[in-house]
Amino acid sequence: MSDVTTTPAVLHLNNVSKSFGSNRAVRGVSLSIQPGEVIGLIGENGAGKSTLLKILSGNYRHDEGTIAVNGREVQFRGPADALRAGIGVVHQEQSLFTNLTIAENIEVNTPIGRGGVNRLGLYNWRRLYADAAQALDLIGSHLNPKTRVSDLSFVDRQMVEIARAIRVSAASHTTPLVILDEPTAILERTETAILEREISKLRDIGSVIFVSHRLDEVMRICDRVVVMRDGELIADRAVDDVTEEELFRLMVGRETHAAVRSRRSIDPANSPVISIHDLTRAGSYADVSIDAYPGRILAILGTSGSGRESVARAIFGAEGFDSGSVSIAGYSGRQLSIKKAVALGVGYVPAERKTEGMVGEMPADQNITLTHPGSAALGPFELPRRRLSLARAWFEKLDIRPREPEHMLQDFSGGNQQKVVLAKWLNSSHLKALVLDHPLRGLDPGAAETVNAQIRSVCDEGTAIILIPDTIDEALDIADDIVVMRDGRISGVFDLGHDNPATLDLLERML
Amino acid sequence: MVHKVLSEQGAGGITTTAIRIRESGIERRARFRGLAEPLSLLVALAVLIGVFSLLNERFLTASNIQNVLTQSAIPLIVAVGATLVILLGSIDLSVEGVMGATGMTWILLSNNSRGGADLGPWAWVIALGVALLLGVASGLIFTALKVPSFIVTLGMWYVGLGIATMLYGTDLLPRLEDEGLKGWTSRISLGLPNSFWVALLVIGLGILVLRNTRIGRVTLAIGNSETIVRSAGLPAFPVKVAVFAIAAVLSGLGGILATVQLDIGSPTVGSGVLFIVIPAVVIGGTHLGGGKGGILRTVLGVFLLTILNNGLILSGVESSYQSAVTGAILVAAIVFAAWSQRDRLRVAK
Repeated sequence: MSDVTTTPAVLHLNNVSKSFGSNRAVRGVSLSIQPGEVIGLIGENGAGKSTLLKILSGNYRHDEGTIAVNGREVQFRGPADALRAGIGVVHQEQSLFTNLTIAENIEVNTPIGRGGVNRLGLYNWRRLYADAAQALDLIGSHLNPKTRVSDLSFVDRQMVEIARAIRVSAASHTTPLVILDEPTAILERTETAILEREISKLRDIGSVIFVSHRLDEVMRICDRVVVMRDGELIADRAVDDVTEEELFRLMVGRETHAAVRSRRSIDPANSPVISIHDLTRAGSYADVSIDAYPGRILAILGTSGSGRESVARAIFGAEGFDSGSVSIAGYSGRQLSIKKAVALGVGYVPAERKTEGMVGEMPADQNITLTHPGSAALGPFELPRRRLSLARAWFEKLDIRPREPEHMLQDFSGGNQQKVVLAKWLNSSHLKALVLDHPLRGLDPGAAETVNAQIRSVCDEGTAIILIPDTIDEALDIADDIVVMRDGRISGVFDLGHDNPATLDLLERML
Repeated sequence: MVHKVLSEQGAGGITTTAIRIRESGIERRARFRGLAEPLSLLVALAVLIGVFSLLNERFLTASNIQNVLTQSAIPLIVAVGATLVILLGSIDLSVEGVMGATGMTWILLSNNSRGGADLGPWAWVIALGVALLLGVASGLIFTALKVPSFIVTLGMWYVGLGIATMLYGTDLLPRLEDEGLKGWTSRISLGLPNSFWVALLVIGLGILVLRNTRIGRVTLAIGNSETIVRSAGLPAFPVKVAVFAIAAVLSGLGGILATVQLDIGSPTVGSGVLFIVIPAVVIGGTHLGGGKGGILRTVLGVFLLTILNNGLILSGVESSYQSAVTGAILVAAIVFAAWSQRDRLRVAK
């Protein structure tokens, strides 16, 4: 920043670079943030955002360039240094101790002897609770600091993370810089609204860097947007001078494909692949009836308490239900097991990809043939060479990159991992239905688009798809049918072949 | 446009109400859970006591109760340390080895039948120092070399036994000569056996450490996620070593008390303690994965198992059946304890 301001920039980066071996993850990034500014940082996965954030949070040390906080040059030796300088990061993966109280999580980084922990390492709980309540009050949250974090919803946890991020700088009387790393990626729409309100409050006490994949949010929340691509900072625009389409182009390097799905109404001659009738699970959902037809995508909308995830898991046999019935391709059982569901031709892409959807420490090709070995199997044996060529074919078809199926799945990026998980089900010879639980969660727009394209083509081949989307827009973009759930009951059913619900209609039925 | 509408609603009624409903829900759930788990243990304990007192009228006499308290004292002391280790998400199997080495060191440095030095209180200091060394060694190897605690402490068990056997040598068993100490553990002061008073002190200190110190809180945090502990700049390394050291010193203390109780020094003085301690922690409801649980629950677990043992003996279950019966009841108890956490997709390893 060359202009003469009386207050120094909260954060000033000059030509910061960081390499891992030959890979230059961050190249010559310069950036300046003024007090009270909310900056949006966008870029595809692998664009260097995470590396930059890790430099700012003290997890990585930069190789070149300088970082100045409030006009003073700093060298971070670890996360604690960054915190002391007033930089608090709210990580993408939640970094709270779920078994401890809100108060402890907020106070955990306060240096010994300053807050509720005295020099002997003894805790003064009354002081701890009071300090935490104060920090929560500062961001306008009224959570009880004695509550255990595991009892909180995701948006409340984000509040706790924000309170913690500003707590250290509040204790050392510096202006806080809060970095929010994709805070909305796992939030429902209503929760996002709450978070947006909080961020605008943060403006009064410090500055914010907001990292997100959702461009509409960035446009709404931020004053300025910076775009990273291939490790470089390629654009720095005021929000008023830029459009969403332009940001997408800057970020991905190509235009959006606004392919609108041509839709037809349900063909009365078709019978549903999956038909659930009056499904009820006490405390979760009740009297849910849904029919999913071949070649159609059915999206279930709802907020976090709507029970839609539980319904989806019940269809796959991963959760039980109390009454009602699920019939799949004509088979109808009182209780369904995962094994039975798979045998009947149902596939499930879980929201928790890393823990439920894939085996990270296994090569990608073995992940693909895990459930349905297909042509890779010879009797009870699996032939490695056939498996590899089978995997190569899937890599080609779904455009999974890099084209190295023998590599560990955990080394692939999120979007490519998700495609491997899809391929695992597509490899079935009798796939009839796919249940997709937040399939785009955590994916950048480019990857999300290719995954969506795959979902469409699978559907067009005659598979019934039940989708739990992240956003209403995702549902309107891709679905043929939309079912809306509220508090465990169905509050609306739309056949997009002849209905044309507005976002607001859907929202009203969700809240 | 839609978003504007949404944020206006958010600023006003709907969202705020939603938050309030959710917050009251949270508190209700938290209060319920705080009560429910220990309650089922207390119920199990009450049932057990009820059944045994019906089976045998000697069960609920003052002398038998004091007997049970004496029997539970040593496992209680050791279990406090074991709980801390398990809260880390680790495990300490070296208990019996450390007990043997410490007990043997202590008796050889006290007034015993083999003669030699009688160092009085220094014998305690040196013997507990041996335990501390073993614990720090386990902790360092586990933490610095990143070896699973299961294997490290399994090895340390035998190192401890080896030290004890070496000290024992080929001579006669060293017998405790100090008349004031003989039988001290089961002697009654203020209505309770001495060793139980020691156990109460240890339990109190353990709860204090867990509730009110940096070591205790970071232990719980590590059990939840060590990655987060490290990226938050918290002292993971020293805390892990310290917890193993504390556990070993408590095992050592148990070893000395067991030696006093036995009157003679023996390398296998701790034999059988591990089999009570680890199940007691698990039955108490402390998660083997770490992060959840507590010392008071473990205390209930120890009582449950000690009473079970005592009751079976009083009810005249033949000693040849005893270990099979205890084992089977143990497995049943653990299945029962884990029942509330069962879930279709839950993975047990």
